[in-house]
Amino acid sequence: MSVDPDELHAALANAVLELDEPLTAELSRKVVTLGLDAWAAVEHGLIAGMNAAGKLFDEEEYFVPELLIAADAMYAGLAILRPHIRQESAVRGRRVVIGVVAGDTHDIGKNLVRIMLEVAGFEVFDLGRDVPARAFVDRALEVNADVIALSTLMTTTMDQMAQVVRILRTEDIRDRFKVIVGGAPLSQQFADRIGADGYAPKATLAVQLAKRLTEVVHAA
Amino acid sequence: MSTNGTATAQRDQLTSLERVGLALQYKKPDRVPAAPLVCGASGRVLGISYGRWSQDAKAATASLLAAQELIGFDGWLTLVDLSVEAEDFGQEVLFPDWSTALPNFDNPFIPTAQDYGKVRAFDPRKARRTSGVIEIVRGLAEARGKDVAIMGFVYGPLGVLSQIRGHAELFKDLIRHPEQVLEAVNTITGVLVEYAVAQVEAGAHAIVLDPLYSSASILKKQTWIDFEGVFMTPIADAIRAAGVPVVVHNCGNGVYFDAVIEHIKPVAISHAYPAYGSADLTAHAQAWGKKVVTIGVIDPAKAGHELSQADLLEECRQQIETFRIAEGGFILSSGCEFPPNGNLLSAATIVKAAQLYGRY
Repeated sequence: MSVDPDELHAALANAVLELDEPLTAELSRKVVTLGLDAWAAVEHGLIAGMNAAGKLFDEEEYFVPELLIAADAMYAGLAILRPHIRQESAVRGRRVVIGVVAGDTHDIGKNLVRIMLEVAGFEVFDLGRDVPARAFVDRALEVNADVIALSTLMTTTMDQMAQVVRILRTEDIRDRFKVIVGGAPLSQQFADRIGADGYAPKATLAVQLAKRLTEVVHAA
Repeated sequence: MSTNGTATAQRDQLTSLERVGLALQYKKPDRVPAAPLVCGASGRVLGISYGRWSQDAKAATASLLAAQELIGFDGWLTLVDLSVEAEDFGQEVLFPDWSTALPNFDNPFIPTAQDYGKVRAFDPRKARRTSGVIEIVRGLAEARGKDVAIMGFVYGPLGVLSQIRGHAELFKDLIRHPEQVLEAVNTITGVLVEYAVAQVEAGAHAIVLDPLYSSASILKKQTWIDFEGVFMTPIADAIRAAGVPVVVHNCGNGVYFDAVIEHIKPVAISHAYPAYGSADLTAHAQAWGKKVVTIGVIDPAKAGHELSQADLLEECRQQIETFRIAEGGFILSSGCEFPPNGNLLSAATIVKAAQLYGRY
């Protein structure tokens, strides 16, 4: 029985959009079983579905719960497809080290940014929450990151972001990374004051910011 | 006004309590009240670490009193942190020396959706942290309750649950396991009723309820109503039955003012952003300024960390002008807790702005 890959991709995208994690996993396994291009299924199925969910989020049809479950579905499919992606077809994205700074465990905003960065093709190294400033720098050096993305929801932990920048300066490696910051209490003024390269007030804008800054990095 | 064109403060004619009380009734007091929500920041007035301030009711009370004496604000909010109720439900909480207490989400009290049944009622008058907040209210009331407004604080039941399950997991459970979530929210609601009433009995002049997720940045309106709004109603009713008004605080973006008012019926809403559907503060003031008293709306991070005192004064002046439309129903405040590590001079500047520009 022949299967139309386009139809399967559309079904995958719809499964993510409809928050159906079991169906997303089942269809991903079908892609593997049939020997179809795993990356095409990721790009035209999982990522397309996540993009559609993100659009509904922007249009206030979906909210945080729906977006989080759509992301779970996407990651369930990705776990199945990833081992079958041929190296040459994988997108070689820019690298981002991301996390919530020390003293803060509010990670939903960071997770949304991570998801959108991955969907946009970035290779993301998520350090989680309550991450010491030193750990951001060490990981960025280790993976040769382009961007260090810092998140916090609390005023008391904002200075941890400045601490990351201070370490980069002290060790004379500030120019190797673009530092971006986000979170409810932050502002462009704060980003400027601590010497960050950019601030984004919402997740979708963080992706645009990262794209813009990494183009600058690689054009230089 | 002074002769050189610079505004000068006139002498206040009312006590802080009288001033706040009138504003909450849309009656013009001598001037706009100022309550910059100096909570954790007060610990620095007496040099108390945040970890101690959060857990030592006597120390917290002493520092809140000292901060009021130093800064001259018109009201206290007994917000210690958003983990107070969570700890007494069983959540492990971390207490950094110089930052806000937070749940240890590496060890959530509700690790899976099958564990919501672990949420059991407790007596907030006896439990470690809630009883501490009640003692703070009592201490403030005994010391200054006749002339400074004391606003107790209760985090909403869905917010409390998020602090013992983890925010993201709870939000997903709203869709995947709604019945288990609702059962836990119901149990928590019963405790919060008692907690709110205990704060009233200890001397609070009003209770502030925080329905943080009644915000378009997080939940659909109907989702908030189903999972928290309907549970807020009995808490608010119990507070009113105990004899004091209900105030709402929500520092989220795009708060559903209509749903919040319908289910909680607050006399005032403390907020940081324009309501859902209002493009900016001016539109917000026009839409809601005469329907519910506004407490706000200074950006706390900017006030505490970014703005110069002159710029902050101007920001406050503009907000006072924006909310003249409220005909007295306005309290100048930061839109959320004043940054615990922010410049205390800025809290004093907010009070100064009310004295300079807020005369009726």
